[in-house]
Amino acid sequence: MAATRRLGTGWTGLGVWIALLGLGIIGPGAAWGQDAATDFRNNCMSCHTIGGGRLVGPDLKGVTSRQDRAWLLKFITDPKAMIDSGDPEAQKLLKESGGVIMPTLPLGKARIEALIDLLESESKLERSKFAGQVVSNRPLGPEDIAAGERIFTGRQALSAGGAACYSCHTVQGVGGLGGGALGPDLTKVFERLGGRKGLTAWLGSPATATMQAAFGTHPLEQGEIESLVAYFQSQTQLAETPQPRQLFLGLGLAGACFALWGLNSLWKRRLGGVRRAMVQKAAIKG
Amino acid sequence: MNVRSQIAMVFHLDKCIGCHTCSIACKNIWTDREGAEYMWWNNVETKPGTGFPTRWEDQDTYRGGWEIKDGKLRLRSANKGYVLGKIFHNPAQPSIDEYYEPWTYRYQDLFNAPEGSDQPIARPVSKITGKEIAIEAGPNWDDDLGGSPVYAENDPNLDSLTEEQREQLFAVERLVMFYFPRICNHCLNPSCVAACPSGAIYKRGEDGIVLIDQTRCRGWRACVSACPYKKVFFNWKTGKSEKCLLCFPRLETGQAPACFHSCVGRIRYLGVLLYDADRIEEVALSSDENLIEAHRSMILDPHDPQVIRQAQSNGVHDSVIEAAQKSPVYQFVKVWKMALPPHIEFRTLPMLFYVPPMSPVMSMRKGDVLTQSDQGLFHEIDNARVPMQYLAKLFGAGHDAKVRYALKKQMAIRSYRRAVTVGDIEPHIANQMLREADCTPAEAEAIYKLTSLCTFEERFVIPPMHREEALEMMEDPMDHKRETGFGLVGKPQRGS
Ligand code: SF4
Ligand code: SF4
Repeated sequence: MAATRRLGTGWTGLGVWIALLGLGIIGPGAAWGQDAATDFRNNCMSCHTIGGGRLVGPDLKGVTSRQDRAWLLKFITDPKAMIDSGDPEAQKLLKESGGVIMPTLPLGKARIEALIDLLESESKLERSKFAGQVVSNRPLGPEDIAAGERIFTGRQALSAGGAACYSCHTVQGVGGLGGGALGPDLTKVFERLGGRKGLTAWLGSPATATMQAAFGTHPLEQGEIESLVAYFQSQTQLAETPQPRQLFLGLGLAGACFALWGLNSLWKRRLGGVRRAMVQKAAIKG
Repeated sequence: MNVRSQIAMVFHLDKCIGCHTCSIACKNIWTDREGAEYMWWNNVETKPGTGFPTRWEDQDTYRGGWEIKDGKLRLRSANKGYVLGKIFHNPAQPSIDEYYEPWTYRYQDLFNAPEGSDQPIARPVSKITGKEIAIEAGPNWDDDLGGSPVYAENDPNLDSLTEEQREQLFAVERLVMFYFPRICNHCLNPSCVAACPSGAIYKRGEDGIVLIDQTRCRGWRACVSACPYKKVFFNWKTGKSEKCLLCFPRLETGQAPACFHSCVGRIRYLGVLLYDADRIEEVALSSDENLIEAHRSMILDPHDPQVIRQAQSNGVHDSVIEAAQKSPVYQFVKVWKMALPPHIEFRTLPMLFYVPPMSPVMSMRKGDVLTQSDQGLFHEIDNARVPMQYLAKLFGAGHDAKVRYALKKQMAIRSYRRAVTVGDIEPHIANQMLREADCTPAEAEAIYKLTSLCTFEERFVIPPMHREEALEMMEDPMDHKRETGFGLVGKPQRGS
């Protein structure tokens, strides 16, 4: 009995091992060998440049000389906690980024240390390879806005097969009932993420965990990003004008009330009994 | 021919004294529970009157019973489109106000009231909400109110009367009322059974009692609408419907149902009828005028050897056939043709029959005095206080021939017995009346005996119910034969 049980455990152990191997979690070529450059590309570049100017977040050139290493490590590990703790520097950063809180990165201490090293070394270069992509300044016209709307609402599929924005996000006045409520409202995202430059960078490699899970393997194309940026820009302007969504809701409520009132007067007698009506009639007759 | 047996009933309305003992007997046994307080499986109404629940006979409101559409029988209440349209609120149902809100009194107030200069009173409180209520109506609110301008005047059966007849009916000298005790009719073609979407209502094969399976009932209340007699009630506590069960536990032990047993006026008769189940649909499809005759014709002669053979081959026990031969109901309904089904135009083919009531002595105004009418004690039935049209509406589907026949016979027998016992009527006149009423002296004696001198055993001929045989149809009594004793709750450690 005991022998069998041990054998059993052995087999199970092996099974788990094989499964893990299959998932590529353990074994040669495992993913934790990623270097800091890849980490930066995947996690930071959407909001930061090194020497390319500010996006949503500040330009990180020379950050290691502006802040001490311990502070940087603490901030990157959990930006929200730092902000909440009332650290004056962190508060200042929050204000500068227009209230966008830096996401907590799914990296361990070692990898954050490596990132800081990378910042240090890249800052010393004349031109870092992370100075940011060159955002075209081609004027965006109504076709771009229209294309952007098509992409947002999913009428035009994303070339890499990503899910339409609409499934998780909404903007004011889109569709009858608005889009998804899983992600934040994107009506003012253009302003929030620092205009054309910031938004383009963000969409190029979104940094939040959810967006990364959804688009990490289905990146947006440059053309698609431009259309979306055009669309979001147009939305920002629209948001200033009266809000059709609330009007729609109000009209709906008024309509429902009217319908109920109508049905009620149509079926007025549905709750009227037999006996009371009879007695009342007899009373009137005297 | 598909011979079945059914426990059927006769109520002799001429004998009912309106004491409500029957209702109380029933209430004490069956409906003295929370959720059932308002139910009166047996109720006694005053006619003319609106009854319980209010105006139950008005099927334009309540949509009970069957109607003929395209030559087929259709439930009035259960047209699919209609049901679907009203699925959240079925207006064709009596509300609690049509029954009445049951109440009690806060008797404790009598003892607990602080000392003061006023007498303490016990306030009425609703048995449903527990709050104080203003009592507006009760199950027999119009009891004895023969000519009441609210209740009597709104009796749906008065629709058949002319304006003149109506006026007469409410003239003081002619004011009239009679009692109409009602229970579930345990119909042959029950619309309550047909309407149930859960298949919870069934008619027992061996005795025709209509029952609701409380575990299957889902509270749709389709039966409440569908029963034209409004004899299915909804229990607001359990969320299930309930109805008269003809005291089957009493019947199975050889006792008459509580309302029968306790009836002070001895108006109630109970016995077995054999009928041809193959003809139910055909009979229910007859024209109004022929309904009573058709209904009668499907009741079979329990002495006919062919009927007996068919009954036996259908599994009707010999003792049941024997009871059918002694059935007082068979005599009243089929042989004497004096008992009539109530509102047979609802086409549920009720198996409770009524001997229509005679009216009280007629009086006339002569100057300032009110005297007995010129025609003597027993007046012409056409001049009776209760107009023939009215009774025809109740017991003849609007046609008076059968009602007239039954009343004439009663009248003739009264005169005949008067001739025998008092002697102020000439025997040859009495005999002449009997002949005109299609009756012989022998029959008159028999009717007189069963009406006036009947014993318990003559009124209630209850067959042995043979539940053991009914059970055998569903399970094998040998199932447990080799088990220990009555069977085991827990398995014994050894043996099994
Ligand atoms: S009287 Fe009884 S059997 Fe007939 S329809 Fe009503 S509940 Fe059913
Ligand atoms: S107990 Fe008999 S006499 Fe009294 S009301 Fe009931 S049916 Fe009539």
